[in-house]
Amino acid sequence: MGEMEQMKKEAEALKTQIEAARKAAHDTDMASAASGVAPAPRVQLKTRRTLKGHLAKIYAMHWCTDNRLMVSASQDGKLLIWDSHTGNKVNAVPLKSSWVMTCAYAPSGNLVASGGLDNMCTVYNLKTPVIKTVKELDAHTGYLSCARFLSDTEILTSSGDTTCALWDLETGKQKTVFLNHVGDCMCLSLSPDMNSFVSGACDSLAKLWDIRDGQCKQTFQGHTSDINAISFYPSANAIITGSDDCTCKMYDIRADQEVICYQDAALNSGVTSLDLSASGRLIFAGYDDFNCNIWDSLKGEKVGELKEKKKSLSWREC
Amino acid sequence: MVFQMDELDETQLKNHVDSLKQQLQFNREKTSVAIPELAKWIEEKMNEDPFLNPDVLKDNPWVESSKCVII
Repeated sequence: MGEMEQMKKEAEALKTQIEAARKAAHDTDMASAASGVAPAPRVQLKTRRTLKGHLAKIYAMHWCTDNRLMVSASQDGKLLIWDSHTGNKVNAVPLKSSWVMTCAYAPSGNLVASGGLDNMCTVYNLKTPVIKTVKELDAHTGYLSCARFLSDTEILTSSGDTTCALWDLETGKQKTVFLNHVGDCMCLSLSPDMNSFVSGACDSLAKLWDIRDGQCKQTFQGHTSDINAISFYPSANAIITGSDDCTCKMYDIRADQEVICYQDAALNSGVTSLDLSASGRLIFAGYDDFNCNIWDSLKGEKVGELKEKKKSLSWREC
Repeated sequence: MVFQMDELDETQLKNHVDSLKQQLQFNREKTSVAIPELAKWIEEKMNEDPFLNPDVLKDNPWVESSKCVII
Protein backbone atom coordinates (compact mmCIF):
# COMPACT_ATOMS: atom_id res chain seq x y z
CA MET A 1 0.00 0.00 0.00
CA GLY A 2 1.41 3.41 -0.92
CA GLU A 3 2.36 5.83 1.85
CA MET A 4 -0.42 8.24 0.90
CA GLU A 5 -2.99 5.46 1.08
CA GLN A 6 -1.66 4.38 4.46
CA MET A 7 -1.89 7.91 5.83
CA LYS A 8 -5.42 8.30 4.52
CA LYS A 9 -6.41 5.10 6.29
CA GLU A 10 -4.76 6.33 9.47
CA ALA A 11 -6.60 9.65 9.21
CA GLU A 12 -9.94 7.87 8.77
CA ALA A 13 -9.23 5.67 11.78
CA LEU A 14 -8.36 8.70 13.92
CA LYS A 15 -11.56 10.48 12.86
CA THR A 16 -13.58 7.44 13.82
CA GLN A 17 -11.89 7.39 17.22
CA ILE A 18 -12.61 11.11 17.72
CA GLU A 19 -16.28 10.56 16.85
CA ALA A 20 -16.43 7.67 19.31
CA ALA A 21 -14.89 9.85 22.03
CA ARG A 22 -17.50 12.54 21.34
CA LYS A 23 -20.33 10.01 21.50
CA ALA A 24 -18.99 8.71 24.79
CA ALA A 25 -19.13 12.25 26.18
CA HIS A 26 -22.67 12.78 24.87
CA ASP A 27 -24.81 11.65 27.79
CA THR A 28 -27.42 14.42 27.42
CA ASP A 29 -28.46 16.99 24.83
CA MET A 30 -29.43 20.67 25.00
CA ALA A 31 -33.17 19.91 24.77
CA SER A 32 -33.06 17.78 27.93
CA ALA A 33 -30.58 19.97 29.79
CA ALA A 34 -32.55 23.15 29.06
CA SER A 35 -36.01 21.63 29.53
CA GLY A 36 -36.46 23.40 32.87
CA VAL A 37 -35.50 26.80 31.49
CA ALA A 38 -38.29 29.26 30.75
CA PRO A 39 -38.44 30.28 27.08
CA ALA A 40 -36.99 33.70 26.24
CA PRO A 41 -39.62 36.39 25.61
CA ARG A 42 -40.36 37.60 22.10
CA VAL A 43 -37.93 40.36 21.12
CA GLN A 44 -39.10 43.50 19.36
CA LEU A 45 -36.32 45.59 17.90
CA LYS A 46 -36.59 49.33 17.47
CA THR A 47 -34.40 51.18 15.02
CA ARG A 48 -32.64 53.91 16.96
CA ARG A 49 -30.23 55.26 14.38
CA THR A 50 -29.80 55.00 10.66
CA LEU A 51 -26.25 55.88 9.75
CA LYS A 52 -26.20 57.30 6.26
CA GLY A 53 -23.05 58.21 4.43
CA HIS A 54 -21.71 55.28 2.50
CA LEU A 55 -22.26 55.29 -1.25
CA ALA A 56 -21.96 51.59 -1.94
CA LYS A 57 -22.44 48.22 -0.28
CA ILE A 58 -21.28 48.06 3.33
CA TYR A 59 -19.32 44.86 3.90
CA ALA A 60 -18.39 45.03 7.54
CA MET A 61 -18.54 46.96 10.77
CA HIS A 62 -16.95 46.67 14.19
CA TRP A 63 -17.65 48.34 17.53
CA CYS A 64 -14.98 50.12 19.54
CA THR A 65 -14.66 48.85 23.13
CA ASP A 66 -16.31 52.07 24.38
CA ASN A 67 -19.59 50.78 22.88
CA ARG A 68 -20.09 54.16 21.31
CA LEU A 69 -17.74 54.53 18.34
CA MET A 70 -17.79 52.10 15.46
CA VAL A 71 -16.05 51.63 12.13
CA SER A 72 -17.75 50.56 8.90
CA ALA A 73 -16.22 49.55 5.58
CA SER A 74 -17.79 50.03 2.19
CA GLN A 75 -16.87 49.25 -1.38
CA ASP A 76 -17.21 52.98 -2.03
CA GLY A 77 -13.57 52.88 -0.90
CA LYS A 78 -13.96 54.33 2.57
CA LEU A 79 -13.85 53.44 6.21
CA LEU A 80 -16.18 55.62 8.24
CA ILE A 81 -15.87 56.09 11.99
CA TRP A 82 -19.24 56.89 13.56
CA ASP A 83 -20.36 58.18 16.93
CA SER A 84 -23.41 55.97 17.35
CA HIS A 85 -24.90 58.16 20.09
CA THR A 86 -25.10 61.31 17.95
CA GLY A 87 -25.15 59.56 14.57
CA ASN A 88 -22.30 61.79 13.40
CA LYS A 89 -19.32 60.75 11.33
CA VAL A 90 -16.13 61.29 13.30
CA ASN A 91 -13.57 60.27 10.66
CA ALA A 92 -13.34 59.12 7.06
CA VAL A 93 -10.40 56.99 5.93
CA PRO A 94 -9.91 56.70 2.17
CA LEU A 95 -8.81 53.21 1.12
CA LYS A 96 -6.16 52.42 -1.52
CA SER A 97 -8.25 49.48 -2.62
CA SER A 98 -12.03 49.78 -2.60
CA TRP A 99 -12.53 46.00 -2.58
CA VAL A 100 -12.75 45.89 1.18
CA MET A 101 -14.24 42.89 3.00
CA THR A 102 -13.44 43.51 6.64
CA CYS A 103 -12.63 46.19 9.18
CA ALA A 104 -11.61 46.21 12.83
CA TYR A 105 -11.28 48.62 15.74
CA ALA A 106 -8.37 48.16 18.16
CA PRO A 107 -9.36 47.73 21.84
CA SER A 108 -7.45 50.94 22.66
CA GLY A 109 -9.44 52.96 20.12
CA ASN A 110 -6.18 54.21 18.59
CA LEU A 111 -6.08 52.06 15.46
CA VAL A 112 -8.40 50.64 12.82
CA ALA A 113 -7.67 48.06 10.14
CA SER A 114 -9.16 47.04 6.82
CA GLY A 115 -8.53 44.50 4.09
CA GLY A 116 -10.12 42.58 1.25
CA LEU A 117 -9.34 41.56 -2.32
CA ASP A 118 -5.99 43.37 -2.14
CA ASN A 119 -4.85 40.40 0.05
CA MET A 120 -3.48 42.91 2.57
CA CYS A 121 -4.40 44.14 5.99
CA THR A 122 -3.82 47.90 6.29
CA VAL A 123 -3.60 49.47 9.73
CA TYR A 124 -4.37 53.16 10.33
CA ASN A 125 -3.64 55.42 13.31
CA LEU A 126 -6.68 57.54 14.16
CA LYS A 127 -4.89 59.62 16.76
CA THR A 128 -2.26 61.38 14.67
CA PRO A 129 -3.30 64.91 13.54
CA VAL A 130 -3.95 63.48 10.08
CA ILE A 131 -4.96 59.78 9.90
CA LYS A 132 -1.88 57.83 8.85
CA THR A 133 -1.33 54.37 7.43
CA VAL A 134 0.97 52.72 9.98
CA LYS A 135 1.44 49.33 8.32
CA GLU A 136 0.49 47.36 5.25
CA LEU A 137 0.54 43.68 6.25
CA ASP A 138 1.37 41.88 3.05
CA ALA A 139 1.94 38.12 3.03
CA HIS A 140 -1.41 36.45 2.49
CA THR A 141 -1.86 34.98 -0.98
CA GLY A 142 -5.62 35.25 -0.85
CA TYR A 143 -8.25 37.82 0.12
CA LEU A 144 -8.50 39.13 3.65
CA SER A 145 -11.83 37.98 5.06
CA CYS A 146 -11.48 39.11 8.68
CA ALA A 147 -9.10 40.96 11.01
CA ARG A 148 -9.13 41.41 14.80
CA PHE A 149 -6.70 43.38 16.99
CA LEU A 150 -5.37 41.77 20.15
CA SER A 151 -3.69 45.06 21.10
CA ASP A 152 -1.95 47.99 19.41
CA THR A 153 0.96 45.64 18.62
CA GLU A 154 -0.73 42.43 17.44
CA ILE A 155 -3.48 41.60 14.97
CA LEU A 156 -5.06 38.34 13.79
CA THR A 157 -6.21 37.85 10.22
CA SER A 158 -8.10 35.16 8.28
CA SER A 159 -7.70 34.73 4.54
CA GLY A 160 -9.01 33.14 1.38
CA ASP A 161 -5.57 31.47 1.12
CA THR A 162 -6.91 29.03 3.84
CA THR A 163 -4.62 30.36 6.56
CA CYS A 164 -4.98 32.62 9.56
CA ALA A 165 -2.05 34.65 10.82
CA LEU A 166 -0.88 36.57 13.88
CA TRP A 167 1.10 39.69 12.95
CA ASP A 168 3.55 41.86 14.84
CA LEU A 169 2.50 45.42 14.10
CA GLU A 170 5.91 46.85 14.94
CA THR A 171 7.76 44.76 12.33
CA GLY A 172 4.83 44.22 9.98
CA LYS A 173 5.69 40.51 9.81
CA GLN A 174 3.72 37.34 10.53
CA LYS A 175 4.64 35.88 13.95
CA THR A 176 2.53 32.75 13.57
CA VAL A 177 0.68 31.16 10.67
CA PHE A 178 -2.23 28.88 11.51
CA LEU A 179 -2.37 26.02 9.02
CA ASN A 180 -5.07 23.38 9.04
CA HIS A 181 -8.10 24.53 7.03
CA VAL A 182 -8.40 23.32 3.44
CA GLY A 183 -10.93 25.91 2.35
CA ASP A 184 -10.97 29.73 2.35
CA CYS A 185 -11.08 31.06 5.91
CA MET A 186 -14.10 33.32 6.13
CA CYS A 187 -14.31 34.51 9.72
CA LEU A 188 -12.64 34.48 13.11
CA SER A 189 -13.48 35.27 16.71
CA LEU A 190 -11.09 35.90 19.62
CA SER A 191 -11.67 34.25 22.99
CA PRO A 192 -12.39 36.71 25.82
CA ASP A 193 -8.98 35.94 27.41
CA MET A 194 -7.24 36.34 24.01
CA ASN A 195 -5.29 33.09 24.38
CA SER A 196 -7.23 31.35 21.64
CA PHE A 197 -9.47 32.03 18.67
CA VAL A 198 -11.89 30.15 16.45
CA SER A 199 -12.06 30.30 12.68
CA GLY A 200 -14.75 29.25 10.21
CA ALA A 201 -13.98 28.23 6.64
CA CYS A 202 -15.32 27.07 3.29
CA ASP A 203 -14.34 23.50 4.23
CA SER A 204 -17.46 23.67 6.47
CA LEU A 205 -15.32 23.27 9.59
CA ALA A 206 -14.73 25.54 12.58
CA LYS A 207 -11.37 25.24 14.33
CA LEU A 208 -10.14 26.33 17.74
CA TRP A 209 -6.52 27.49 17.84
CA ASP A 210 -3.98 28.26 20.56
CA ILE A 211 -2.66 31.71 19.63
CA ARG A 212 0.75 31.20 21.22
CA ASP A 213 1.74 27.74 19.97
CA GLY A 214 -0.09 28.03 16.63
CA GLN A 215 -1.74 24.61 16.94
CA CYS A 216 -5.26 23.62 16.00
CA LYS A 217 -6.64 22.20 19.25
CA GLN A 218 -10.14 21.21 18.18
CA THR A 219 -12.17 20.86 14.99
CA PHE A 220 -15.95 21.28 14.98
CA GLN A 221 -17.84 19.61 12.17
CA GLY A 222 -21.49 19.32 11.26
CA HIS A 223 -22.09 22.11 8.79
CA THR A 224 -22.53 21.07 5.17
CA SER A 225 -21.38 24.31 3.57
CA ASP A 226 -19.18 27.38 4.06
CA ILE A 227 -19.11 28.86 7.55
CA ASN A 228 -19.48 32.62 7.04
CA ALA A 229 -19.79 33.82 10.62
CA ILE A 230 -18.49 32.70 13.98
CA SER A 231 -18.55 34.00 17.53
CA PHE A 232 -17.13 32.95 20.88
CA TYR A 233 -19.61 32.84 23.70
CA PRO A 234 -18.94 35.51 26.35
CA SER A 235 -18.48 32.62 28.81
CA ALA A 236 -15.78 31.23 26.50
CA ASN A 237 -17.15 27.68 26.78
CA ALA A 238 -19.07 27.63 23.53
CA ILE A 239 -19.07 28.99 20.01
CA ILE A 240 -21.82 29.83 17.54
CA THR A 241 -21.38 29.41 13.80
CA GLY A 242 -23.49 30.56 10.83
CA SER A 243 -23.31 28.83 7.46
CA ASP A 244 -24.39 28.80 3.84
CA ASP A 245 -26.29 25.63 4.78
CA CYS A 246 -28.91 28.01 6.28
CA THR A 247 -28.31 26.96 9.88
CA CYS A 248 -26.51 28.24 12.93
CA LYS A 249 -24.97 25.81 15.36
CA MET A 250 -23.72 25.95 18.92
CA TYR A 251 -20.65 23.84 19.71
CA ASP A 252 -19.69 23.20 23.31
CA ILE A 253 -15.91 23.56 23.59
CA ARG A 254 -15.44 21.35 26.64
CA ALA A 255 -17.56 18.51 25.22
CA ASP A 256 -15.95 19.08 21.80
CA GLN A 257 -19.22 18.74 19.86
CA GLU A 258 -22.32 20.31 18.43
CA VAL A 259 -25.04 20.65 21.05
CA ILE A 260 -27.84 22.42 19.19
CA CYS A 261 -28.74 23.54 15.67
CA TYR A 262 -30.80 26.64 14.90
CA GLN A 263 -32.82 25.93 11.81
CA ASP A 264 -36.24 26.17 10.30
CA ALA A 265 -37.69 24.40 7.26
CA ALA A 266 -38.92 27.76 5.99
CA LEU A 267 -35.40 29.20 5.98
CA ASN A 268 -33.55 28.53 2.76
CA SER A 269 -31.00 31.34 2.75
CA GLY A 270 -27.43 31.17 3.98
CA VAL A 271 -26.37 32.86 7.20
CA THR A 272 -24.01 35.74 6.47
CA SER A 273 -23.37 37.20 9.90
CA LEU A 274 -24.20 36.73 13.58
CA ASP A 275 -23.72 38.11 17.05
CA LEU A 276 -24.85 37.37 20.61
CA SER A 277 -26.64 39.44 23.21
CA ALA A 278 -24.69 40.27 26.39
CA SER A 279 -25.77 37.08 28.22
CA GLY A 280 -25.53 34.90 25.14
CA ARG A 281 -29.20 33.97 25.48
CA LEU A 282 -30.09 35.61 22.18
CA ILE A 283 -28.44 34.98 18.82
CA PHE A 284 -28.90 37.60 16.12
CA ALA A 285 -28.29 36.05 12.71
CA GLY A 286 -28.32 37.83 9.35
CA TYR A 287 -29.36 35.89 6.26
CA ASP A 288 -29.01 36.18 2.50
CA ASP A 289 -32.75 36.83 2.15
CA PHE A 290 -32.25 40.30 3.71
CA ASN A 291 -33.64 39.19 7.06
CA CYS A 292 -32.26 38.91 10.57
CA ASN A 293 -33.64 36.21 12.85
CA ILE A 294 -33.32 36.24 16.62
CA TRP A 295 -32.90 32.82 18.25
CA ASP A 296 -33.28 31.68 21.84
CA SER A 297 -29.89 29.98 22.18
CA LEU A 298 -31.05 27.50 24.87
CA LYS A 299 -34.40 26.50 23.38
CA GLY A 300 -33.50 26.65 19.70
CA GLU A 301 -36.59 28.68 18.80
CA LYS A 302 -36.98 31.91 16.88
CA VAL A 303 -38.07 34.73 19.17
CA GLY A 304 -38.01 37.65 16.78
CA GLU A 305 -36.89 39.05 13.48
CA LEU A 306 -35.89 42.25 11.78
CA LYS A 307 -37.03 42.52 8.21
CA GLU A 308 -34.77 44.79 6.22
CA LYS A 309 -36.23 46.20 3.05
CA LYS A 310 -33.25 46.27 0.79
CA LYS A 311 -29.95 44.53 1.15
CA SER A 312 -28.52 41.33 2.58
CA LEU A 313 -27.20 41.98 6.09
CA SER A 314 -23.45 41.77 6.11
CA TRP A 315 -22.81 42.33 9.80
CA ARG A 316 -24.72 42.63 13.01
CA GLU A 317 -23.12 43.48 16.29
CA CYS A 318 -24.61 43.90 19.71
CA MET B 1 -17.59 22.34 -0.05
CA VAL B 2 -17.00 19.64 2.53
CA PHE B 3 -13.41 18.67 3.35
CA GLN B 4 -11.90 16.14 0.91
CA MET B 5 -8.67 14.33 1.80
CA ASP B 6 -7.88 13.56 -1.86
CA GLU B 7 -6.90 17.18 -2.41
CA LEU B 8 -3.99 17.09 0.03
CA ASP B 9 -0.36 16.48 -0.97
CA GLU B 10 1.98 14.25 1.05
CA THR B 11 3.19 16.93 3.47
CA GLN B 12 -0.34 18.24 4.05
CA LEU B 13 -1.57 14.70 4.64
CA LYS B 14 1.16 14.03 7.21
CA ASN B 15 0.32 17.28 8.99
CA HIS B 16 -3.36 16.32 8.87
CA VAL B 17 -2.65 12.95 10.52
CA ASP B 18 -0.41 14.55 13.18
CA SER B 19 -3.07 17.15 13.94
CA LEU B 20 -5.77 14.48 14.27
CA LYS B 21 -3.55 12.57 16.73
CA GLN B 22 -3.24 15.75 18.80
CA GLN B 23 -6.96 16.49 18.63
CA LEU B 24 -7.84 12.95 19.69
CA GLN B 25 -5.98 13.58 22.97
CA PHE B 26 -8.39 16.36 24.00
CA ASN B 27 -9.99 15.60 27.34
CA ARG B 28 -13.70 15.75 26.55
CA GLU B 29 -16.11 16.80 29.30
CA LYS B 30 -19.45 15.00 29.49
CA THR B 31 -22.36 17.01 28.06
CA SER B 32 -24.31 16.31 31.28
CA VAL B 33 -21.73 18.53 33.00
CA ALA B 34 -20.84 21.02 30.26
CA ILE B 35 -24.32 21.94 29.02
CA PRO B 36 -26.00 22.62 32.38
CA GLU B 37 -23.02 24.78 33.39
CA LEU B 38 -23.30 26.74 30.16
CA ALA B 39 -27.06 27.18 30.66
CA LYS B 40 -26.49 28.30 34.26
CA TRP B 41 -23.90 30.89 33.16
CA ILE B 42 -26.32 32.30 30.59
CA GLU B 43 -29.24 32.43 33.02
CA GLU B 44 -27.16 34.28 35.59
CA LYS B 45 -26.07 36.85 33.01
CA MET B 46 -29.60 37.45 31.74
CA ASN B 47 -30.13 40.02 34.51
CA GLU B 48 -27.49 42.23 32.91
CA ASP B 49 -28.72 41.69 29.36
CA PRO B 50 -30.53 44.81 28.06
CA PHE B 51 -32.61 42.73 25.66
CA LEU B 52 -33.94 40.56 28.47
CA ASN B 53 -34.07 42.84 31.51
CA PRO B 54 -36.14 45.99 30.87
CA ASP B 55 -34.58 47.66 33.93
CA VAL B 56 -31.16 47.62 32.27
CA LEU B 57 -32.68 49.12 29.15
CA LYS B 58 -33.70 52.22 31.13
CA ASP B 59 -30.11 53.37 30.73
CA ASN B 60 -30.35 53.25 26.94
CA PRO B 61 -27.89 55.73 25.39
CA TRP B 62 -29.68 55.68 22.04
CA VAL B 63 -33.03 56.91 23.28
CA GLU B 64 -33.55 60.67 23.14
CA SER B 65 -33.58 61.79 26.77
CA SER B 66 -35.87 64.71 26.09
CA LYS B 67 -37.27 66.47 23.07
CA CYS B 68 -37.39 70.00 24.41
CA VAL B 69 -34.83 72.06 26.26
CA ILE B 70 -35.81 75.00 28.42
CA ILE B 71 -33.55 77.97 27.66
